[in-house]
Order: sequence, then structure tokens, then C-alpha cells
Amino acid sequence: MSAVEKATATAVAAEGRTEVGSRHTPSARPPAVSTRLLRSEMRLIMGRRRNQMGMLVLAALPVVLAVAVKLTEPHNRGNDAGDFLSQATSNGLFVPLAALTLEMTLFLPMAIAMLSGDSIAGEANLGTLRYLLTVPVDRTRLLAVKYASLVLGALIGVFIVAIVGAVAGIALFGTGPMLTLSGVRIGFGTAVWRLVLAALFCAAGISALGAVGLFVSTLTEQPMAATVTVMIITIISWILLGVNQLAFLHPWLIVEQWMSFSDLFREPPLWSNLLTGLGQDLGYAIVFWLAAWARFTSKDITS
Amino acid sequence: MSFWTSHPKARWIAPVAVVAVAAVTPYALSASADSGLAPRSASQLLTDVRSSTVATLSGTIVESADLGLPSLPGIGAGSGSADLQSLVSGSHTLRLWVDGPDRQRLAVVGTNGESDIIRNGRTLWTWSSATKTATKRTLPPRTPESGTAPSTPSGLPTTLPPTPAAAAAQVLKAVGTTTSVTTSSTATVAGRPAYELVLTPKARTTRVAQVRIAIDGVRRVPLRVQVYSTQLTKPAFEIGFTSVDFGRPDARQFAFAPAPGTTVKNGDVPEATSATPEATVPSAASDTVEPTVVGTGWSTVVVAKLPADVLAGLSGKAPASQGNGQVDTLLRLLPAVSGTWGKGHLLSGTLFSAVLTDDGRVAVGAVAPDQLYAALAAK
Repeated sequence: MSAVEKATATAVAAEGRTEVGSRHTPSARPPAVSTRLLRSEMRLIMGRRRNQMGMLVLAALPVVLAVAVKLTEPHNRGNDAGDFLSQATSNGLFVPLAALTLEMTLFLPMAIAMLSGDSIAGEANLGTLRYLLTVPVDRTRLLAVKYASLVLGALIGVFIVAIVGAVAGIALFGTGPMLTLSGVRIGFGTAVWRLVLAALFCAAGISALGAVGLFVSTLTEQPMAATVTVMIITIISWILLGVNQLAFLHPWLIVEQWMSFSDLFREPPLWSNLLTGLGQDLGYAIVFWLAAWARFTSKDITS
Repeated sequence: MSFWTSHPKARWIAPVAVVAVAAVTPYALSASADSGLAPRSASQLLTDVRSSTVATLSGTIVESADLGLPSLPGIGAGSGSADLQSLVSGSHTLRLWVDGPDRQRLAVVGTNGESDIIRNGRTLWTWSSATKTATKRTLPPRTPESGTAPSTPSGLPTTLPPTPAAAAAQVLKAVGTTTSVTTSSTATVAGRPAYELVLTPKARTTRVAQVRIAIDGVRRVPLRVQVYSTQLTKPAFEIGFTSVDFGRPDARQFAFAPAPGTTVKNGDVPEATSATPEATVPSAASDTVEPTVVGTGWSTVVVAKLPADVLAGLSGKAPASQGNGQVDTLLRLLPAVSGTWGKGHLLSGTLFSAVLTDDGRVAVGAVAPDQLYAALAAK
């Protein structure tokens, strides 16, 4: 641990962490951006047993999916996971895509809902938020770090699904060319790159939901309330998206383009929906982060 | 900082402002009207379109229809479907690549699927990702008469006078009695400035309020068609490019080879005449009574008598096949109406109405139901 890090040390008392905060020493100037708070936050997130179990659940689904498809290979036609499951199974990469299609509806939103519930409301509930704010950390910076940790959490969650799915799929089905939705095949290398883009796109959507969760988390001191609220928002969005009569509302729903990552598996890829989706994600992230900022920086922290 | 400190509640302005900007921006962009195009008359525009020589393009097309039809199992598939038949309702995305008269590809994009039609020379592939089926057809050799390049995308019949200007004059003369034709030069389609040909029916009785055809300001090809209904503020039917590129598409777009593991079928070879769309329309059944036409122009109502076998199916006397079941479902969805002309079921759409009477007559027109009743009574 360097002197610089010590100077800006603002590690936080929460769940077994000990407070090691100290005053700035005049000689050691802190760097413009310190990652110490973020690293402490990530250690906290990754160290929680419930989060570890959640990651196991996220990783289990693609494995189950791959094994199930392998066992029923000759007649794996009807399915609910879009066309990826009915791929001619010479390429294992359909497994992570089918897993993402399934998990983007419920499991990944639930994961980010849990993390965002913990981020502010959880600290308030444990009584550690006060201590966080007594050390010289600006509330805006704390909120930025909290959101950065949620984005990292979203990336970790999505890539767990993608990587475990890819490994399981390749192990069971091999690395042949991949059939696109357009009926022509793309090489394995191209397919891998498009899978990475698809995972990044999914992570952007989950990160946007994380901003909503961060805002809800500043409204309550009960992490469970924030988690449930985020899940309700997600589920209502999916329901509204299914009602054709509400088409005017659809461009405003956070989940509208979440499934558009399948557009990457056309030949050539169709970018328009993906760009629309990224715009929506960015909009949600900015608006709800600002709302969280307006709430968090002006409220009295009593616990 | 001091402002935020003294007015903590003012911080809420920030998220609200971002929402406001996001809500207003699309309108602000579409309202930035001045496209910088010199005004052009309707006949000049039609001449332009007729003489335009665009042979290569690729682009994305969005089609949306709000025809006011009842949602049916099968056609009410909405936005997600990649089925070609589902285009009558909801909003759909299509991708088009054209390289001269011999190589075209059209892809109907669905949420989790795609249908493709790829033509490369005399080979025509159709692909459906839902059934994972590729169908191959070999087109008949091109005859010199039908060799007109689709570089006249307006779809004007080739029997029109030879010069574009004469054709334009003839079209305008033909529609002039029923329609007022104006132009505007303020549209933007697919990010490109465009002229608009505005057709406004003179008849007050029609449900068609306006037809707007946007024509590219530089290349002079139609980019968008909008049909407005008197019942709606948004277009009842719209098809247009959301992005377009007039360069030559990559040859890969037209090279389709079915992948192993997909079903490959050999389709029927269409007859030589079916290259023209008119010939694919099935000729009317022999026992159909010749339809009667009531009214003129936009208010035209067509009254016809259904063939006997269809009627039997409708009244439930024939053995219930799948098709009849669908018709039954449709009839039950439609409200029953009656008047001096008889009794029947009414389909009141945003652009057209139709009445099916219990004695087997059908009246259809781009008008309100009242006009249909009048036409039925007059018969």
C-alpha cells in the first residue's frame, strides 16, 4: 500500500471492514482519480456470500442449457429462447446467446437489483452510511463510485453467463461456422467477436437498470424494498412491451431493445436497433444517476 | 456549488432537464425544416422520377400500418414477426440491397428471426429462419420485353408514353379531376433532403386524407410513401427508408448458399409470365358475379357477390375446414350492422371500410360505412 493510497485512504466500516481513514498529509498530493474507494467497493461486492451464490446461479443456467440441448440433440426444435436454441448445433456459441436471451429477462435484472439495493439502502440499513460520509469523501464522488461498481457488477454478471456458456457450448458442440439468422454462415472468429459485442450490449442495458436501482436505493433504507422495486420496474416494462396497443410508450421502456443483440447475428449485422438501445441505456443511466445525485446530496443521512 | 448548497431542491432540475431534452430532441430534429431544395412542380418531379437512373442501392426500410383491422390470430403477429404475411399490422423493418436488374436481396427482420428473398441472376432463394428452410427457384430467362431495369422504381406501367415528361403530364391529367396535386420541398427522409408529392383527394367522403410521396432531392427516387387517414393524426400506412446508400452493395449480399443442417427445397418454377406482378394475381373465380362499381375517384365503392362455395362456408353449412374457421372467427369479431339494405357485418378500418351482408354481398371502399350502405341500397 503506497503512501499516496494511504493519504486518500477512506476505506469504510462495513461488514467487517475496519476504518483506516486518515487525514491528508500535505507532502503527498492525492492523484486526480483514486481507484481505492472503487476497489474497496468491488471487494465488498465480490466478497458477499449472497453475491457469490448469485454468480453461481447465473453460471448454472448456460451449463444446464448446453447439457439439455446435447441430450435432446436429434429433436431440439420447439423452444422459447428464440432461434438460437434451434441452431444447427455445429457451433457452441449458440449456448451463451440462448443463455443471455433467457437471463436478460429475469436473472440478470435480479442480480443488478440486488447489488443496487445493497449500494446505498444496504449501507443505510446497516448504519454504515454515516461512517462512509464522515470520512472526507464527497457525496457526489461516493455516488459515482457506487455507480461505477454497479457497472462493473453488470459486466461481471453478463460475462459470467457469456464465458461459461461459451466454454460449455464449445466443449459440447465444437467450433464450427455459425449459422446466422440470415441463413448464411460466419466463421468462428467472427462469431466470437460478435458474442463479445452482444455481451457488452447486454451489460449496457443492465448498467442502465443499475442507475434506476441506485436512485431507488437512495429513496429507502430497506435494501429489499429497493431490490423489489427494481424488479417490479423491470417486469412491468416487459409486460408493457408486450402490449401492441401501447406502442407509443415502447421507445421509453428500458427493456425495449434489450433483445436486439440478436441483430448482431444477421449478415450483415443490423446496427440501427443496437444504437437505439445504447441511446436508451445512456439516457436512463444519465437521468437516474442525476436523480440519485439530486436526492442523495440533498437528503439528511440519519443512519 | 454555492447555488446547489443554498438550494438543494434545485438539483432535481438536472434529471428533469435531461428528460425534457430527450423528449424534445426528435421533434426539434424533424422540425428543422429547411432542406435547401429549390421548389419543383409536380410534373417536373414525376419527370425526374421517370428518368432517374438509380440502379444500385442498399438501405433499411421501416413499414408501419395502422389499418384499424381487428387483431386476428395469425395476422395480428405485431412487431416481432419476420413473416412476410404479417406486414398488414404493426411496424416492421426490411433491408433492401439492389445491384441492377439481376441482383436483389430483401430481408424481413423480426425480433428473433428473418425471412430473406435473394435473387442472383436467374436463381431465386427464399430463406426463413423460423423454419430453417431455404427454397431455391430458377427463374425463366429474361425476355427482351420484360427486360426493363427496376431503375424506374415508381412502378409506372411501361405502356405510358415514351418520354418521361409526357408520362408525367398524362398521370397528372388523369388524377387531376379527383385529386389536387401539390409539392413541398421540406421533407427529410433517411437524413436526406427530399421533395414531397402531396396528393389530396377532392372528395370529402373518402377516408384517405392525403397521400405523401417523398422523393430524394438528389437522386430523384421515391424514398417514402405515407397514407394519411381522416381518422388518425399519424399516417395510417407508411413505408420509407430510414437509411439509404446509393453505392453498389457488396457482392456477398447476393451470394446465398444454404448451410448444412438446414432444409433445402426446390420450389416450383414460376411460369414465364409471372415475372410481372400483375400476372400473379389470381384471376377471379368463374362463378363470381361481375362486381358493380358505385361512385367515382376516391369515393369508389365496389359491390360484389361472393362465390357460392365461400358463402356456404360462411353460413356454416359446409364442413368446417381451417379456412372457414378463421372466417368464422373474423365474423364474430366484427360488429353486426343492419339497415334498409339488409343485414351484415362491418369492418371499419382507418383507410377503408367493408361490409359483408348476410346474403353474400360484399361492399368495399376507401369511405365511411355510410357510403357503403348507400351503395348497397342503390344496387
